[in-house]
Amino acid sequence: MAFPWLSASILFPIGAALLIPFVPDKGDGKTVRWFALVVALLTFLLTVGGYLNEYNPADPGLQLDEHIDWLPDLGLAWSVGADGLSMPLILLTSFITALAALAAWPVSFKPKLFYFLLLAMDGGQIAVFAVQDMLLFFLAWELELIPVYLLLAIWGGKKRQYAATKFILYTAGSSLFILLAALAMAFFGSSSGMPISFEYSALMDKGFPIGFQLLCYAGLLIAFGVKLPIVPLHTWLPDAHGEATAPVHMLLAGILLKMGGYALLRFNCQILPDAHAQFAPLLVVLGVINIIYAALTSFAQRNLKRKIAYSSISHMGFVLIGIGSFSALGSSGAMLQMISHGLIGASLFFLVGATYDRTHTLQLDEMGGVGQKMRKMFALWTVCSLASLALPGMSGFVSELMVFVGFATDDAYTLPFRIVIDGLAAVGVILTPVYLLSMLREIFYGKENVELASHSELVDAEPREIYVIGALLVPIIGIGLYPRLMTDTYSAAMEALVARNESAMKALTSPAGGSLIRQTALRAPMIPG
Amino acid sequence: MPSAAEVAWLIPVLPLLGAVITGLGLISFNRTVNRLRKPVAVLLISCVGAAAVLSYAVLAEQLAGAPPTEVLFTWASAGNFSLPMGFRVDALAAVMLALVTTIALLVMVYSDGYMAHDKGYVRFFTYLALFSSSMLGLVISPNLLEIYVFWELVGMCSYLLVGFWYDRDGAANAAQKAFVTNRVGDFGLLLGILGLFWATGSFDFETIGSGLQNAVSSGVVPGWAAVALCLFVFMGPMAKSAQFPLHVWLPDAMEGPTPISALIHAATMVAAGVFLVARLQPLYAPFPQVQATVAVIGAITLVLGASIALTQMDLKKGLAYSTVSQLGYMMLAMGCGAPVAGMFHLVTHAFFKAMLFLGSGSVIHAMEEVVGHEPVLAQDMRLMGGLRKHMPITASTFFIGCVAISGIPPLAGFWSKDEILGVAFGRFPLLWVAGFVTAGLTAFYMFRLYFLTFEGPFRGGDKAMAAQLLAAAGKGAPEHNDHGHHADHPHESGWQMAMPLVVLAVPSVLIGLLGVPWNSRFGLLLDPHEAIEAAQHFSWGEFLPLAGASVGISITGITVAVLAYALHKLDLGTAVAGRFPALNAFLANKWYLDAINDKLFVQGSRKLAKQVLDVDSKVVDGVVNLTGLLTLGSGEGLKYFNTGRAQFYALIVFGGVIALVVLFGSLG
Repeated sequence: MAFPWLSASILFPIGAALLIPFVPDKGDGKTVRWFALVVALLTFLLTVGGYLNEYNPADPGLQLDEHIDWLPDLGLAWSVGADGLSMPLILLTSFITALAALAAWPVSFKPKLFYFLLLAMDGGQIAVFAVQDMLLFFLAWELELIPVYLLLAIWGGKKRQYAATKFILYTAGSSLFILLAALAMAFFGSSSGMPISFEYSALMDKGFPIGFQLLCYAGLLIAFGVKLPIVPLHTWLPDAHGEATAPVHMLLAGILLKMGGYALLRFNCQILPDAHAQFAPLLVVLGVINIIYAALTSFAQRNLKRKIAYSSISHMGFVLIGIGSFSALGSSGAMLQMISHGLIGASLFFLVGATYDRTHTLQLDEMGGVGQKMRKMFALWTVCSLASLALPGMSGFVSELMVFVGFATDDAYTLPFRIVIDGLAAVGVILTPVYLLSMLREIFYGKENVELASHSELVDAEPREIYVIGALLVPIIGIGLYPRLMTDTYSAAMEALVARNESAMKALTSPAGGSLIRQTALRAPMIPG
Repeated sequence: MPSAAEVAWLIPVLPLLGAVITGLGLISFNRTVNRLRKPVAVLLISCVGAAAVLSYAVLAEQLAGAPPTEVLFTWASAGNFSLPMGFRVDALAAVMLALVTTIALLVMVYSDGYMAHDKGYVRFFTYLALFSSSMLGLVISPNLLEIYVFWELVGMCSYLLVGFWYDRDGAANAAQKAFVTNRVGDFGLLLGILGLFWATGSFDFETIGSGLQNAVSSGVVPGWAAVALCLFVFMGPMAKSAQFPLHVWLPDAMEGPTPISALIHAATMVAAGVFLVARLQPLYAPFPQVQATVAVIGAITLVLGASIALTQMDLKKGLAYSTVSQLGYMMLAMGCGAPVAGMFHLVTHAFFKAMLFLGSGSVIHAMEEVVGHEPVLAQDMRLMGGLRKHMPITASTFFIGCVAISGIPPLAGFWSKDEILGVAFGRFPLLWVAGFVTAGLTAFYMFRLYFLTFEGPFRGGDKAMAAQLLAAAGKGAPEHNDHGHHADHPHESGWQMAMPLVVLAVPSVLIGLLGVPWNSRFGLLLDPHEAIEAAQHFSWGEFLPLAGASVGISITGITVAVLAYALHKLDLGTAVAGRFPALNAFLANKWYLDAINDKLFVQGSRKLAKQVLDVDSKVVDGVVNLTGLLTLGSGEGLKYFNTGRAQFYALIVFGGVIALVVLFGSLG
């Protein structure tokens, strides 16, 4: 039997986390942080090892699969595997977590518990992307909530209790829908002799009737919409992000939000294609609302963390549009946007934390002119902000462009609908630099804020911080220069998914939105030879 | 051995490598690298120098009649879909390559003198190399998408360089304004590119041109939609080349260091819009409505720029509005369907305007010795005057620039501007009138700048005027100056600054002769077919009256300037400004466009954002909190939240789920 790469990647950090109480540490975290960093790095190497040894990007199907029956009566099994939808996100997770461990270097309050939770989350999040069984997925999804909750509630800012509770109510509440949908789908047809199974592949083959699909789809959309988040289900996010410490922040923005996008692709698109054909225009419209609404709120925000938090919401809008498009290019763009935002969002939130350590304020009104004292910090901020506003040469540009082009050439929608959506999404192209550059302006430019400048903590970036940002910038710029580095790892799976969705869409007899949104008679694409 | 065109990709890559090396050095070994001024400058100048050598080799090949070279690779793909990238070298690209590298090289040498005392010297050179790389990449882009990529990158460099002195509020605001205004243009450009790709399935210039025409003639794309797409794409050039009404960023961008104003905001980047329109001729040519729009926008811009330049007292702002006006001429040429004429003006203008800006930098540098490092003082012509005696090289090159831009033969500006006026006369006589009158205004305001700066008595010691200027700018008296003691009068700049001025003076005088209408070598290179035809149809009878008229109006403009500012026979203050106060205020307030912009867009977007945030925190989040309160019953629930026991809630949820699963299991 081949080495169980994925099970190892999930269980190793969790197992190592359980050993943390035995790590000899004086309580200041100086030993345990090395332990956590090494474990996180090894986990990263494990995922990379699985990718290099067993993963074939040209294969659209499931790979690295491991299957151990657990409760066979119930159809419950330990079933993990990776296809193009999971693999990039598994790599992203272990990569960001390793950097978060490095970002958590200064944590000195209850360090053992902190690193325990961090490593537990690592395994839990890899599990979310790797499991191939919907009940396991639900368990992993829930399991990962508890560390986040505790990380927020213990290490957060002033309003941490409020933020943590809001987070847990929102996510736990909405995840009931996942459970309901999972049970409904697993037990569907069991009276007529269909086997009970939570396995994705089995669910895909069940051929649910459209009414059933629509119901499940709507429930799952709410559950995943909270996570992504989709406006108006987003209000937990600014609070949670606003109170989290930098490393937790990196995980929230870098990985947690992607769980929503991944789950939408995995369940809503892959398992419920007929409902997706009906719901897709709604996703697109919600995506545009996300982009513009969150960009405007971000612009008006005076709190740095909340500003960046809203900018995350805005960027997730492109994921929704991409998922809602029936083109390989658009869906690929959505996937790339998730990865790209995972990297860029993590870098920005890390910088927010690093800046807060120095200024002890997040209010933009209390900053100003700190660029003179913190030149390297200024440079790092500028590069990451430019990445976030989709500057060419960095990953955000490619992913947004792919969504734009994919949607513009998407023959499933009528021309006016495409024009309006692309036009409104392009407004985001104007709004993003407006809020990001005015943010830079208020922090770094202009006359030095005398009170801030007298702080002794106002020192320039240290090598560890430069290293974290540098490590994030390598893939950001790498993908920006040559996107196929990333897209080639998942394009086969994505194309298979889109082909399935497209045939579902073509089979539609009465599409939602009718002739206003949908092209009824599909026109052959006219690409001159 | 490969031809130069085959390795043309090295031209942008060399400066990029230099920039990356110094950039990485700056971030990892800041202090050490900041001390390595000369080595960094030598490294980066050699990178750009090597690119220049290669560019000239490419140009030589094109002059010898080499065919265009195109190299492509698949950059991104998904489904049946691929986006190619690569590079394309043809005559147009070769001309731009040579132009950009030449001016970049001279500006870098000049900067060694200009930025000598700046603490950001190394950072400045890094940005310069980065900009050169992006601009050169733009020039050799084979398709619209790649143009868009570099288009944004030059915009970023402009942002970084305008905001170079980031402790100045003016610079910080200007940088942001420049970037955002350009993004507004890019918004249109992006939508246009998307639409054209939808209509034609390609990003390639020629395929797009023929594809769109086919799509219109076969009825797949309605005519109005095709026109709309062309105009959307045109929004990009409008912002980048500072065309009305998106020109507002360019004058503000003068807050950047003067070498930047010369390189980016006069000679190269702002010309990128004109260059793109030239590239898009296959697309625009079949649509007369589009061409007319381009021409009209160009004409409005040229009048606007020149009219505002009349009243500017800031030397650099005067030159900036002059650039706006000259870019209007180039766009007018494009709209008249004469890309060669527009490109020719782009080239001649690049040389003399770069020289003028570098000259103004030399003046400002010298003024700073007298009045201190305060741009409000160092750039205001009310404190200048009489500088010719102190800085003869700067004065004489500036004078050559003024003559060249005024359109006096045989200097460069005459030939290129006259060619534009000639085609405008044939296509749009009304717009020709605008261009013709503006030629007079141009001569007037340029000589006004020259006389106020270089002739008459030196006014730098006028403390009362300095205090008045500072008060008008809302600044207090400078606390103390950086160099302790002020000089009494300015000095000529060192060789690093003087040499580029002298070098640029040569093409400013001579380069026009490459484009004489009866034998245009420039035309032969870019469009041999049309150039031969034009040479055959050339007649002195047509040429002389038009040329004579434009020279006449230029001389009139110069005469008025001489009477008013050299001989003081004419008091324009009372004669014109006093008699038409409304007109004067209109011009002094820059047609009120900045005010409108501020009211409508800046304040408007702020207000809208504020309202959306209020909705978010009061309505959307309010509903959430209300629900939370209701479900938890009362204040009792809130207390429960605050005691920290809520983490058990998570465990309860999780435990409940497990129980549910087991329950279902036993039932199933």
